[in-house]
Amino acid sequence: MKETNKAVKVIRVVFAAASACLVLFLFLNHSEKLDMPLREYITANFFEETGAQNAVSAIYLNYRVFDTLLETLMLLVSVMEVINVSWAGKQARQRTFETKPFDPKDHSEIVLRMVGVIYPFVLLIGLYIIFNGHVSPGGGFQGGAILATALISRYLVYPNFDLDLDRLEKFEKLLFLAIAATPILYIFMQIQPVDTLFSHKVYMVFMNSLIGLKVFAGLSVIFYRFVFYEGR
Amino acid sequence: MNFIFGEVAGILIFFIGLCGLMIKKSIVKTIMALTVMESGIILFYITINYTPDTIPPIGQAQEAAFADPVPAALMITAIVIGIGITAIGLTMFMHYKQEHGITHWTRDRNQQGSERKC
Repeated sequence: MKETNKAVKVIRVVFAAASACLVLFLFLNHSEKLDMPLREYITANFFEETGAQNAVSAIYLNYRVFDTLLETLMLLVSVMEVINVSWAGKQARQRTFETKPFDPKDHSEIVLRMVGVIYPFVLLIGLYIIFNGHVSPGGGFQGGAILATALISRYLVYPNFDLDLDRLEKFEKLLFLAIAATPILYIFMQIQPVDTLFSHKVYMVFMNSLIGLKVFAGLSVIFYRFVFYEGR
Repeated sequence: MNFIFGEVAGILIFFIGLCGLMIKKSIVKTIMALTVMESGIILFYITINYTPDTIPPIGQAQEAAFADPVPAALMITAIVIGIGITAIGLTMFMHYKQEHGITHWTRDRNQQGSERKC
């Protein structure tokens, strides 16, 4: 067995500290002031050009829509990796999950009642954040993450494996196709029924809903795979 | 001059993560160090180009200048990608652990496990 001795460890720590000092020195000593044409252009024009009142939504749904496309592709790839590279993949077909009948005695009374009370509100605030992503802080990613917490709190109350993850993954792939197709048709090829602020707003809400559903499906698949397949 | 602001903290957190990546032998700690590096980068980006007298870039209010929305929009995507990277790393770790019994980078097969101090 190769055990790293103390000197090498000290050298590594010193190397990291020295490179941190170097980068800080370079960062604090550069005095070049750049103009910010992108910021000025976007903050001056984003409402007229995209119809969104939230500049961040305007950027990731209109000005830099490639970011969103490749980011959703990245999430899709990681979900596929979690499903296919898992060590449980070979045994997954043979594995059976015994579904216990629901017994309130197994769970904490407080958690049970509180999750029942909170559940509709979590869904409500998730949908609110998705649908108002273009006029207020929020958007598809955040709303989708909140919707995924609804499923996670469902796991706290009812820890049985009765979701169809394959169907959820197929749903996510279809959503990715829709997410890729919508901006290509609407932004790049300019196939727009009418070119008004209202149609831009409809596009924003539609894209935010698609992204929210996709992030919800992806995070739910990752969570349930980790809970039920990757344990032990 | 005040040296404590977001960019400096972001750079320091990034190099703390790099240090952890270099000196820790446990695979789980390596993945945690990657996450620390990523949070340093996110902190650096969202505090870059920040001036105190700006308002969030929402709506049409004109009483003050808008903050820069471009790094925030970049970091929204980076956060979701970070979730994907962590999930991929943990899945591959579980695969190696179950297939080959490897939990540490530098030990051979008989000495893996958590009982020895790293």
